[in-house]
Amino acid sequence: MPETLPTAAVRVTVNGKPCERQVEPRQLLVEFIREELRLTGTHIGCDTSFCGACTVLLDGAPVKSCTLLAVQADGAELTTVEALEQDGQVHPLQQAFSEQHGLQCGYCTPGMFMSSLALLAEHPEPSPQDIRKALSGNLCRCTGYQNIIKSVQTAATLLRQEG
Amino acid sequence: MDMQFSGEFSVARSKEEVFAMLADPQQFAPLLPGYHSMEMKDARTAKIRARVGIGRIGGLATTELSLVEAQAPHRARYTGRGKLMQGVYRMHTAFDLHDTTDGGARISWQGKAELTGKILSLAGGGIRGYAEKQITRLIASLETALSSAPEPEPAAPGGWLGRALYGLSDVSATEARIEPQVAPTPDLQAQRAAANQRIQALLEAPRAQVKPARREDERLIKGKGLFVDDYSPAGLLHLSVLRAPYAHARIVNIDVSKAQALPGVACTLTGKEIMELTDPFIQIGAGATQQITDYALATDKVIYQGDPVVAVVAESVAIAEDALQLVDVEYEPLEVVLDAEDALTDRVALHEETGTNTIFSGVYEYGDLEQAFADAAHIVKIDRLEFHRFGSTALEPSACVATWDPRGEIDLFANTIMTVPLAFLAPALRVRMDQIRLRTHDIGGSFGNKITNYPYLTLCCLASRKMNGAPVKWIETRTGQMLTGGHGSERIYLDTEVALDRNGVITGLRSKHIDDIGAYPRYEPLGSVIWSQVLPATYKLRNIRIDFNQVVTNKGPSAPNRGYSRLPHIWFMERVVDICGHELGIPADQMRLNNYIGEFPYETPNGCVYDSGDLPAMLAKAKELVGWDAWQKKQAEARGEGRLLGIGIGTTLDSGTNNWGQARYVNPQAPFSGNSTAATVKLDLDGTVVVSLGTFPQGQGHETTAAQVVGKVLGLPPELVQVKTGFDSLNDSHTGQSGTYASQFVVTGLSAAHGAALKLKAELTKLACFGLDAAAEDLEFGVGDMGPQVSVRGTEQALNYWMLANFINSNSASLPDELRDLSLHARHVYMPPFKVPDVEKKIGNLTLTYALQLHICVIEVNPDTFQTKILDYAIVDDCGTVINPMIVEGQVHGAAAHGIGAALLEEIAYDREGNAISGSFTDYAPITINAMPELKCANRQSPSPFTFHGAKGMGEGGGGPLHSVCAALQDALHGQDLIIRHSHNSPMVMFDRFAGGTEKGVTVESR
Ligand code: FES
Ligand code: FES
Repeated sequence: MPETLPTAAVRVTVNGKPCERQVEPRQLLVEFIREELRLTGTHIGCDTSFCGACTVLLDGAPVKSCTLLAVQADGAELTTVEALEQDGQVHPLQQAFSEQHGLQCGYCTPGMFMSSLALLAEHPEPSPQDIRKALSGNLCRCTGYQNIIKSVQTAATLLRQEG
Repeated sequence: MDMQFSGEFSVARSKEEVFAMLADPQQFAPLLPGYHSMEMKDARTAKIRARVGIGRIGGLATTELSLVEAQAPHRARYTGRGKLMQGVYRMHTAFDLHDTTDGGARISWQGKAELTGKILSLAGGGIRGYAEKQITRLIASLETALSSAPEPEPAAPGGWLGRALYGLSDVSATEARIEPQVAPTPDLQAQRAAANQRIQALLEAPRAQVKPARREDERLIKGKGLFVDDYSPAGLLHLSVLRAPYAHARIVNIDVSKAQALPGVACTLTGKEIMELTDPFIQIGAGATQQITDYALATDKVIYQGDPVVAVVAESVAIAEDALQLVDVEYEPLEVVLDAEDALTDRVALHEETGTNTIFSGVYEYGDLEQAFADAAHIVKIDRLEFHRFGSTALEPSACVATWDPRGEIDLFANTIMTVPLAFLAPALRVRMDQIRLRTHDIGGSFGNKITNYPYLTLCCLASRKMNGAPVKWIETRTGQMLTGGHGSERIYLDTEVALDRNGVITGLRSKHIDDIGAYPRYEPLGSVIWSQVLPATYKLRNIRIDFNQVVTNKGPSAPNRGYSRLPHIWFMERVVDICGHELGIPADQMRLNNYIGEFPYETPNGCVYDSGDLPAMLAKAKELVGWDAWQKKQAEARGEGRLLGIGIGTTLDSGTNNWGQARYVNPQAPFSGNSTAATVKLDLDGTVVVSLGTFPQGQGHETTAAQVVGKVLGLPPELVQVKTGFDSLNDSHTGQSGTYASQFVVTGLSAAHGAALKLKAELTKLACFGLDAAAEDLEFGVGDMGPQVSVRGTEQALNYWMLANFINSNSASLPDELRDLSLHARHVYMPPFKVPDVEKKIGNLTLTYALQLHICVIEVNPDTFQTKILDYAIVDDCGTVINPMIVEGQVHGAAAHGIGAALLEEIAYDREGNAISGSFTDYAPITINAMPELKCANRQSPSPFTFHGAKGMGEGGGGPLHSVCAALQDALHGQDLIIRHSHNSPMVMFDRFAGGTEKGVTVESR
């Protein structure tokens, strides 16, 4: 066994549920989400803060969870891709990405969702330029982005219709 | 470590008042920076909780603070103590009070802190400065408190006991807290709460039961995909790789003892052990290449920066990474070879066992070059063109989890993409292929690159065996990926000569090409022949000679990369056509029309058959899409204003479904030819139709399209057809050439699934004839009240699939003998009608289908910064019959992004010592949403006569933007007497072209 490293308590509310874990202070938030909470929908594409695959919402703001330590999220509310589906039914954002073919391999998609959600919370009617700006930190190697832009526009329309 | 501090200050209060405050722990303690809460143990002793730590990360540490001396009103003295991380700290602080002349008090103070234990090594030399800062804060708050009514200090970073305290209190009493660098202001807090609320409101939007557009989406949009890193079986160990810091160096010594001793490390692997446990990977090439010894770890020397040297297996990735730091490797640097021409000289041989860097050398010559050049009206000579190194760099890195159980069975869950790596893996591990269960699930992109991750799969297998069957996971780091995880090869084109007639029709072409494949051949030298699938590109010239060479250099090993080997060749042909047009003053569109192949099917000089298409029609459509005439006008205006605006055409081919016989051009002994892919379609016990494929999909939607095709055969909607996700060798639906590569699924994969569905249908027909007592021609396949069924046309009589399945699986006694050889488990191996090519003459049909794409790019170059901006972009694609238009368009977009990225942004670069200078995404600059223009897409459908449904593979895209962007840049340089000779045109490259004074590099001889 490794010598016991000091641990620190992290208390967060994840997708509405309070969670508490003792973790190594060096643990990254993305590891905390994936390994401790077993929410594997949040992905790691670069672990160097470039690709945005690990994007989650921390107190409503999109953050790259590979770039924060778990302890830095203590006390915060986190939202991950797993918050979108409820009782087997999908959120308009998910619906829109599927309809518009805004995903191929799906690896970037959870991060795209989180950045898009934050955008739509601020701009219910985003222009393509707004979408580009909001997603400029999210890399996709499959889609060429065009359908992602369409997906976010469609999601905005769906949300407005329902809202 | 001991630290002492002292000082004094005065306040306008009486000694008595000051003393009263200082000697009361309840008043004194809250002044400590980072004070959080306290509890009095007795009148003199307080248990204080204070925030401690560095920067934004801190904890609440408990300190016991006792008032040990109180001489009213002269002196107060405290001691404090706490523990953390096997360290102890003690502090003493004393205050001596004196009257001042103006009725106030002067306070002289002394502080001392003693630190012992591990904290020192952690916090290091920074402690002193930090402690000083904390003391200053304490004194400042004392001064403030004594000059006004005391106020509790708001949360401030760190605690006074300062550095003193960093890590110095009891572990068990420590809880970490965020220590915001800036304490959130009420404003910020309100903003966050509001942001959270807005998100909540969005999340509460009504949900709907929606049918996803693709099968795969069902799980992927929910974050429920199963990528390799999501799979963590119990007892999992993690493997990390130590990579060489040098591009070329001899390994003098490796010492892993310290790494092995680190608690939590399970084992290490070095090259020496690998040599004992494995055989070198097989080599595809012939001659000297066969002598190359390629192992999963470097043995005697490293030959590129990033070459894996040691693997460490540990209980966590963090421990494995820590342990890598403890490995000592002594290297003796060697001279590097980084240039393809230099490599050809064999001045320094990378693989000493072979004595040469040449992996392949051969001549591809067709037609009558002599005559073509003798008759030419113009001869254009281009001294050098360069195709750069880049990679499609999937977002998900390479990964695997290997479990080699003590009974000898290996379970390999990986994101490899074809069965060929199995052929490398099994002999290297000295096992039979049936011992390896290879399976994949969701794969986060590959674009060819993941074909060559088998050395790491080998390592994980060995590590698992060494650890008695514990599962071992390896996740490539992004840096590892950038160093070694699949670069597309570089290619240079030397001394190109082009013969043209009076009308600018190209009649002859000769050139020398050198492919630089980096350190190890791996999938090479297949790239030395694969380009010849598209020998004349889309042009009708018949006389061609290419001297083709492939060399190794001290750079990362290359791997097939979207457009593998054909893309660099088509780019070359496109540059040739474009430069010739430019030099001869023939407009770009006219130059294409003069040279395009007319009639299809068309047999190329080397025997390949281009199946279908209409190039002039595609050009016309693309011109219309982009608004060609309008842009021509705008270009004239721009030129008038001195702006650099260019319009470029790129015509490209995506050859799909290989004839593996072409491998014999590089190795006449290669035991491959043709192509075969399997699929199975079965009825499960309950009558469910289950399809398993031999492909390794990575986002191309194979589950969706296979369900469409099988459903169509059986008269079922696709939802009633189950398609297994990913690959599993236990499904027995693969051959040695199965995989997801070379734009072939739509042909090979779907033909196999189609064939298997037909076989199943034939069995169902026989059973239904028996069960319904009907003739085959009266049967109808479809869906009834009880699900999928076979019925007698025009009657109520029907048997559903469960009943039919039951005949074979549970109710066979009533079956007549002639039906007892049915299995309802149909396996079909699709083999396209290939012949073995003529190896001597290098003539043969090398691929079955040729999808076409035509791109037009409008670009503007900023004459000051050389930055480029794409102003308009149009694509017309023709991939025969389209099975799923949405998926096809998605592939077009994705391939376009890779091409635009490569043409303008992305490059894998090395410095003169062979240091990789694009070791992260930040340096590599993969294309982002901001750099992507809006694409105007259109489609034409010229069904292939060679496939059952007329479809053609099209996933690789042929790199259209590399051609069109370079052509547009060439056009933008109109009148500058320069040619675009690089495939990569970052502002730096453009600047060099303009300002670098490089020679033009092209001459024209006209007769
Ligand atoms: S994994 Fe966090 S930004 Fe790439
Ligand atoms: S869908 Fe594959 S990375 Fe975006």
